[in-house]
Amino acid sequence: MRWRPHHPVHLILGLCVWSIWFVVLYGGLSVACQLTPPEPQQGPFNWLNVLLWLSTLVVVGLLLWAARVLWRAAPRAEQPLGRHIGVTSAGLYLVSAFSTLAVAMPVLFLPPCI
Amino acid sequence: MSDQQQNRARLHREYDRVWGNWPGWGALAAVNHTSVGLRFIVTGLVFFLIGGVLSMLMRTQLALPEQDIIGPELYNQLFTMHGTLMMFLFAIPVLEGVAMYLIPKMIGARDLPFPRVGAMGYYCYLFGGLIILSSMALSIAPDSGWFMYTPLSSSTYSPGPGSDFWLLGITFVEISSVSGAIELLVAIMRTRSNGMSLTRMPIFCWYIMVMALMIIVGFPPLILASILLELERAAGFVFFEVAGGGDPLLWQHLFWLFGHPEVYISFLPAAGIVSTLLPVFAQRPIVGYRWLVLAVITMGFISFGLWVHHMFTVGIPQLAQAFFSLASMLVAIPTAIQIFAWLATLWTGRVVWSLPMLWILGFLIIFVAGGLTGVMLALVPFNWQVHDTHFVVAHMHYVLVGGMLFPLIAGLYYWLPHVSGRMPSELLGRWAFWLVFVGFNMTFLLMHVTGLLGMPRRIYTYQAGLGWDWLNLLSSIGGFVMAMGVGMLIVDLLLHFRFGRLAPRNPWNADTLEWAVDMPVTTYNFISLPDIGSRHPLWDDRQLPERLESGQGGLVEIQADRRVTWGSDAVTGQVREVVHVPSNSWLPLQTGVLLAVVCLGLLTKFYWVALGASLLALLVILRWSWHNGGHPLAAPLRDDDPQDPPLHSRTCDGPGRWGMLSTLLANGSLFACLLFGWFYFWTVSPQWQVPAQAPLSATPLLLAGLLLSAAALLYHRLTVRLCRGQAQGLAGGLWLCTALGLGHSLVILWLMLDAQLTPRSLAHDAVLAVMLGYLLFHGVLATLLTLLQALRVRLGYVGVRLPYEPMVLRPLWSYTLGVFWIALAGFFLMPMAW
Repeated sequence: MRWRPHHPVHLILGLCVWSIWFVVLYGGLSVACQLTPPEPQQGPFNWLNVLLWLSTLVVVGLLLWAARVLWRAAPRAEQPLGRHIGVTSAGLYLVSAFSTLAVAMPVLFLPPCI
Repeated sequence: MSDQQQNRARLHREYDRVWGNWPGWGALAAVNHTSVGLRFIVTGLVFFLIGGVLSMLMRTQLALPEQDIIGPELYNQLFTMHGTLMMFLFAIPVLEGVAMYLIPKMIGARDLPFPRVGAMGYYCYLFGGLIILSSMALSIAPDSGWFMYTPLSSSTYSPGPGSDFWLLGITFVEISSVSGAIELLVAIMRTRSNGMSLTRMPIFCWYIMVMALMIIVGFPPLILASILLELERAAGFVFFEVAGGGDPLLWQHLFWLFGHPEVYISFLPAAGIVSTLLPVFAQRPIVGYRWLVLAVITMGFISFGLWVHHMFTVGIPQLAQAFFSLASMLVAIPTAIQIFAWLATLWTGRVVWSLPMLWILGFLIIFVAGGLTGVMLALVPFNWQVHDTHFVVAHMHYVLVGGMLFPLIAGLYYWLPHVSGRMPSELLGRWAFWLVFVGFNMTFLLMHVTGLLGMPRRIYTYQAGLGWDWLNLLSSIGGFVMAMGVGMLIVDLLLHFRFGRLAPRNPWNADTLEWAVDMPVTTYNFISLPDIGSRHPLWDDRQLPERLESGQGGLVEIQADRRVTWGSDAVTGQVREVVHVPSNSWLPLQTGVLLAVVCLGLLTKFYWVALGASLLALLVILRWSWHNGGHPLAAPLRDDDPQDPPLHSRTCDGPGRWGMLSTLLANGSLFACLLFGWFYFWTVSPQWQVPAQAPLSATPLLLAGLLLSAAALLYHRLTVRLCRGQAQGLAGGLWLCTALGLGHSLVILWLMLDAQLTPRSLAHDAVLAVMLGYLLFHGVLATLLTLLQALRVRLGYVGVRLPYEPMVLRPLWSYTLGVFWIALAGFFLMPMAW
C-alpha cells in the first residue's frame, strides 16, 4: 500500500512520530541516567544532551520535510477532499515539528540526571 | 388520507415491526442505539446525583473547623467514592451515551454497527457501578482516593475489601467504555450516509472519533494496572512491593497514563457539543472547521504526553520534569485554537440567546479560568508549592465541571425536544443556570485561595485560626447553592415531559441530520437514508426530513426482516455495502449478568463460582458469535440478496474487521504497558532481583514460536485465496491451523508449568507469569475461533460467497504472532543481553 500525499493516514502520522520520539526521549533519558549518568559538573553540555538534541533535530527535519511535501502536493489533488486532507495533514506535520522542538528546548539549559 | 400519507404510515408500521423493542420485560433485550444511549445517560445522571450527595456531606463536614459530624474513616470513603463516581461512572459513560445516541443520527445511519456489544457494554457499566456502590451500603467502600495509589491501596495498608471492590468494579466499567469507543469509532469510519466524506462530517464526529481512539489507547493502562494490583492483593503476586523487586511508582505511571488523557476524553465530546451548538445559535457555519479538526487531533496526541505532571514531587530528574512541563503548556495551544474559533463564530453570527447558550457562556468563562490555572500547575516550582492542596481540587473542578458538565447540560437542553418532543421551561432553566453558576464559583474560586493558604486536600477537619475558616464556610454555602441549582434543573427536566410546550420539528433551526428524524425519536431513525452533498444538509435542503420520511431516500425496502444501514468508504463516504445489524437479544444481558457473577465470585473469594461463571460467560459469547454472518438466525444466503451494493457479510472488508482492528489496538496498548512495566522494573526498581537461572528454556519457546508462525502464515494464505474466490482446501486448512494453534498453546502451557516461577516472592517471575498467561490466552483464543470457523465451513456458513468471518479473524492471528515474537525478544533475549 502506498500512502499518497492525500491519504488520511497523514492526519496522524506526524503526531505518531512525535509520540514515539517523546517516549524515546523520556525513556532514553531515564535509562541513560540509571546506567551511565554524565557528571553533573558538566552542566547541560554532555554526551547525553547532545544525543537527545541530535535526535530532536533529525525528527524536526523529517517532520518539516513531510509538511513541505504535503503542502506542495495539496493543490494538485483532484478532489476538494484530497486538498482538505493534504492541507490539514501539512498543518499537523508542522504542529508535530513545533511540538518536538518546544518539548526538547530544556535540553539546552538543564543537566540531564539531577 | 392521501396516498402519500398512507404509504408513509405503512412504512412506519413495517419499520416499527422490524426495529421496535420487545414489549414489557422484553425491553431489557433491546439493543438499538437510541435505547442503549438513553440508558447510559439516565444511569450516569443517577450516579452523578449520588456523587453530588457525597460532596455535600463533605462540604457539611468542612463548613466549620474542628467538626466531628463525619469521622476520618467515613470521610476517606466519601472523597474516594465521590471521585470514583464522578470520573468513572458519570463523566465518561454519560458522554459515551450521548455519542451513542447521536452519532448514527448525525451520520444518517439507522444504528451503530455492533448494537449487541453496546447493550452488553451498558450492562457491564450498570452492574460494575452497582458493585462499587454496594460497598458503600456495606460500609466497606474503598478509601485510598480515586487514584488508588500503592502502597496505600495494597493489602498491607488497606486490608479490607474496599480496594478489591474498586479494582474489579472499575475494570468491569472500563470494559464497557472500551467497547463503546470501538463501536463509535467504527460507526463513524464505516457507516456514514452516502456522500458524507471526512470533510462533510459534522464536527461532533471528529471530536467523538478522537475521543474513541483516546479511550481505546488510554484505558488499557488502567485495566492492566488494576489486574496487577488485584493479583497482588488476592494472590500475593509481587508488582508494587519494593521488597520483592517491585515498585509502587509503576502504579502511578500506569494510572496517570490513563488518568491524564481521561481529562481530555471528558473534555473533547463536551467541546464537540459546544462546536455543534454554537453555529446553530449563531445561525452561521462554524469558523475554522479545518483549524478545529487540526486542534482536536493535536490535543488527542499531546494529552498523552502530560502524565508525569501529576508526579512532579516523586523524585524524577529535572530535565524529564521540564519535558512534561513544556508538553503541559503546549496542550493549551490547541485548546486556545478552539476557543478562538468559538469566539469568532459568535462574533460573526447573529446570536440567539436561548437556554443552551447560557450554559455555553458559563462553560467559556469557567473553562478558560480552569485552563489558566492548568498552565500555572504545569510550572514545576508552582506545582511543588500547591501539590496536594485545595488549589489542585479547585483547578480540577474548574476544568471538569466547566469543561464537561456545563456543555453537557447545554447539550441536554438542546437535544431534549428530540427525546420528549417538548421544549424545556426557559424560566426554570435560567434559575437553574444562575444557581449552579454562582454556587460553583463561590465554592471553587475561593478554594484556590484556601489552597494557596496551605490547606491540604483530603483532610477531614482542620484547626480554627489558620485563616481557612471563612473560606471553607463560604465554599460550603456555595456548594449548597449549586446543589439547589441542580435540583431545579432536575425539576425542570421532569416537569417538561408533562407541561413542556410541544416542540416543532427542528426547533432550533439546526443544520445536522439528527433533526431530520421524527420527534419523539423512533428506534430506526430514518425510513430512507439521505445522500449528503454538504456539511449542512438541513440548511441546504429544508424539505429533506419530509422526503426521507416519505421514502424518497436510499435503502427503503425491508428484505427478509433484516435491520440494515449503509456501509461506506472511510474517506469518501461513498456507499460500499449494506450492513446488516443484529436485532433484539437476551445475549448481552446474559453475558453482563455472568460477568457480574465472576466479579462477585472474585470479591467474595469463591473462586470456583468465578471460574464456573467465566466458563458459562465464554459459552454464551461463543453462542453469540455463532449466530452471525450466514447463520439462519442472521443473514443466510438467499437468491434475492442485494448485489450492488452487496451485504457486508458477502464481502472481505466490513465493519467487523474494523472492529477487530480497533480491539487489537486496545489490546496492543495493554501489551505495550506490560512491556513498559517489565523494562521499568529492570531499570528503575530499587530492589530488582533476577533469579540465578533463567526460568524459561529456549527450545520449547522456539518450538512454540514456529508452530504459531506456521499457523498464522497458513491462515493468512487461506484467507487471501478465499477472497480471490478459491475455497479449495479451506476446511482442511482451517483444521490444520487449529491443530498448529493447539500445539502452540500446549507448549506455552507446558512452559508455564515447567518454569517453576515464584511470582509471590519475585516481581521478575510475577511479570513473566502474567506475560505467559497473556500469550496462552491469545493462542487458545485464536485456536478456538479458528475451530469454529472450520465447523462453519462444513455447515455452509462460510465459503466463497461468505468470506467475511475468516477475514475478521485474520488480524487476531497476525497480532498473536507479533506479540509472541516481541515478548520473546523482550522477556528472553533482552535479559540475556543485559
